[in-house]
Amino acid sequence: MGKRLLSLFTAVLFTVLAAGCGISGPAAQTGNSVDETTLRILSGSENQELENIIQDSARNAGIRVEMDYKGSVDIMRELETGAEGYDAVWPASSIWISLGDKNHMIKHSQSVSITPVVFGIRRSLAEELGFTGRDVSVQDILNAITDKKMTFCMTSATQSNSGASAYIGFLYALLGKQEGLTAEDLRNETLRENIRALLGGVDRSSGSSDWLKDLFLSGDYDAMVNYECLIIDANEQLEAEGKEPLFVVYPYDGLSIADSPLGYVDHGDETKEEAFLAFQENLLSGESQSAIEATGRRITANGVSDENKDVFNSSWGIDTERILSPIQMPSADVLMEALNVYQTSFKKPSLNIYCLDFSGSMRGTGESQLKEAMSQILIQENARKNLLQANEGEVNIAILFSDGIRNILSADGYSDEALQKLYDQIAAESPGGGTDIYTAAARAYEIASGYDLNDYTPAVILMSDGVSSYNKEVFDSAVETYGNDIPVFSITFGDADPDQLEELAEMTGARVFDGTEDLTEAFRGVKGYN
Amino acid sequence: MKKKITGLILLVIIMGAIGGIYLFTGSRNEAGTPGLISVSGYIGGEKTELLEDEEVQDILQNRYHLKTDYSKAGSLDMMTADLNGKNYLFPSSSIAEEYYTDLYGDPVQSEIILNTPIVLYTHRSVLDAFDSQGLITRNGNAYSIDMARLVELIQNDTRWSDIGLPELYGNVSVDTTDPAKSNSGNIFAALLANVLNGGQTLTEDDAAEIVPELQAIFGKLGYMETSSSDLFSQFLRMGVGAKPIIAGYESQLIEYASIHPEEYEKIKDDIVMLYPSPTVWSSHILIALDEKGQDFLDALLDDDIQEIAWKRHGFRTGNYGTLSDPDSLAADGIAASISQVTPVPSYDTMKIIIESLQ
Repeated sequence: MGKRLLSLFTAVLFTVLAAGCGISGPAAQTGNSVDETTLRILSGSENQELENIIQDSARNAGIRVEMDYKGSVDIMRELETGAEGYDAVWPASSIWISLGDKNHMIKHSQSVSITPVVFGIRRSLAEELGFTGRDVSVQDILNAITDKKMTFCMTSATQSNSGASAYIGFLYALLGKQEGLTAEDLRNETLRENIRALLGGVDRSSGSSDWLKDLFLSGDYDAMVNYECLIIDANEQLEAEGKEPLFVVYPYDGLSIADSPLGYVDHGDETKEEAFLAFQENLLSGESQSAIEATGRRITANGVSDENKDVFNSSWGIDTERILSPIQMPSADVLMEALNVYQTSFKKPSLNIYCLDFSGSMRGTGESQLKEAMSQILIQENARKNLLQANEGEVNIAILFSDGIRNILSADGYSDEALQKLYDQIAAESPGGGTDIYTAAARAYEIASGYDLNDYTPAVILMSDGVSSYNKEVFDSAVETYGNDIPVFSITFGDADPDQLEELAEMTGARVFDGTEDLTEAFRGVKGYN
Repeated sequence: MKKKITGLILLVIIMGAIGGIYLFTGSRNEAGTPGLISVSGYIGGEKTELLEDEEVQDILQNRYHLKTDYSKAGSLDMMTADLNGKNYLFPSSSIAEEYYTDLYGDPVQSEIILNTPIVLYTHRSVLDAFDSQGLITRNGNAYSIDMARLVELIQNDTRWSDIGLPELYGNVSVDTTDPAKSNSGNIFAALLANVLNGGQTLTEDDAAEIVPELQAIFGKLGYMETSSSDLFSQFLRMGVGAKPIIAGYESQLIEYASIHPEEYEKIKDDIVMLYPSPTVWSSHILIALDEKGQDFLDALLDDDIQEIAWKRHGFRTGNYGTLSDPDSLAADGIAASISQVTPVPSYDTMKIIIESLQ
């Protein structure tokens, strides 16, 4: 009772203040900053586009919102382990909340918008393939891919909702089934061959849908599987650049819908809960919903408002009259098994070349962090927990370096034992001497050149504190000889200085991760590349 | 202007001082309130709004000095969840209570607090299609659906397009929550079992014959939600294409209409409640794990709370009462009485069903 009166009193006080001084809206809210609560929201990357609307809603609710973006499947995993650092989750689809919320922490979950997962295909190609003006099946699309009439990209099925949804649609189509996918189906030899062939033709995959859109815009692809709203976004950019837009195809037997649920993670803090509810209410208010619709997301299942009709451009194939009738997601067990076999046997085997810094500067913290990291990826019992286990045919090589190459170790096959042995050998090393990351990376390129890279997804993973003698010519000449197609990812440890590592990543289309922050995310980023 | 601001600052200081004093004494009072007891437990998601109801909370606090905290869990799931620090469980069926007894022995106390029948929710176009197949009977404003005929359509892999709905992909099916985890799915499975058993309540002896048919029906459903409230809100949100029919509780639409009258107004021409003929009751039973849980149980039987539970949240209370005036509710199409009811099979039979569907 006391609390309530007090807040009434505070409200009166601020009203008096705001009115008296003639301060308008926003300034009055900054007056609230004394008790402003911060909500940390873990969200699917597709919501990055809503950042302004999110911040407006936060301001109106008198709170602060910090967004952190990940793929939806990763959000499910974060929930499974307690989502300690977050007050709310916002994946692409409800299924990832109900699968991940094993500890019953999610409250007040509500859908913010809906958007179907669709195929966006270059318009002229879609016309050529006869995909315009008729019903298209997943099989039609798969035929175009396997006949090499179309190159396409999708997100990783084990990280992102759009990739997982498309992948499940592929499985149904290849099986000729409409419902009730079983674990037995996944062991069907014909299916395994077909899906391997299909995923072998995937250009490149990314961990999250918004990054995929960026990848698509910067690359030279015919098609992508993505959310209708992100295809709209991509088309706006393509047309602005005078380029050909994508035509949206809704496969009648492979459609899924993302319902974008925003749910509160209950860690027992009432202030946060109130803040969450205020924020959510604001986001679901008419004004915000209309702004959300203007970004190409649907806010009801029954078409779009007149106000935003133009956004859903019908010349891009966008059809708001169509009843969205999605495929069925398989039962939880089968779904998890489907994701597992995607990781272990359906996608192309990885060719991982680890360059491990054993120079003197790594002694102590850096060394133990590096070894811990390798135990997470090589000891399969650990790796499995994060869907990072080795896939069939995977190759793992470790180049141990300081100012020169100290040792090159390779796992004998991809069995648990072989990878454990590789780890044991690495764990037995101790650091000393100077650092030269360039010679190590150049050696990695040389080793990779010994493999047929059509059969592997190669990656160089450099683990270092990043303080190297500047010997870049060595790597430049390796790039000259072998090309720069193999990404050189870096994971930093100890007291890292990432500048030199950033340079390598930029040269090869890779990224640098802070291994002291979120190692799993780093590995998933590296391995999710497919 | 300057004068005004000075005045304001003075006002702020004075009010601040008063506030400070108030905060000080206020917090002391609150801490000193004798016996404002905090009770914590698991509830089936469909009762969230009832417990969040401000009037209910006021009654709990002022009359019973209780402050309740809850986590959402499936009715069966909660039995095997971590019960540390929990004072009560509030599942949605007597089966769940028997499951509890099976696991832990007799509870401190338990009692049925609310009742609601299982219904099907669908859209107008689907109702019309079923009507043209002769599955629908109308009583006043309420519709009922012949379950035996519906099960037949499902078992025969009838496509939506076969009954005049080519815009829907796939076969006729009813989405439910996971029968192994959540109550609405669980007792919907009980209903199907009885229907498959020729309308007779399934017994342990007959279970072996019926279980494979039940597994075939559920095996085709794929992913199932674990909470009936999540399933219901997805049903409302995602349109006829995503979830043509779901199984849920009668209470859900009544509550939705009373809490969200504006939204209800927009959907009421499209959303239809179908009473399965026969149906089953879901009995919301409170299991007290300790004395605090017992206090909570007593409080929930308060006449005023029971009235709010019916009028605003759609739970039939007391002894499965018939309604004198169904039109007094915010939602349309509510049956005056629930007459075609089949009893849920015994706990031992349900155990066989649940295990076979895991």
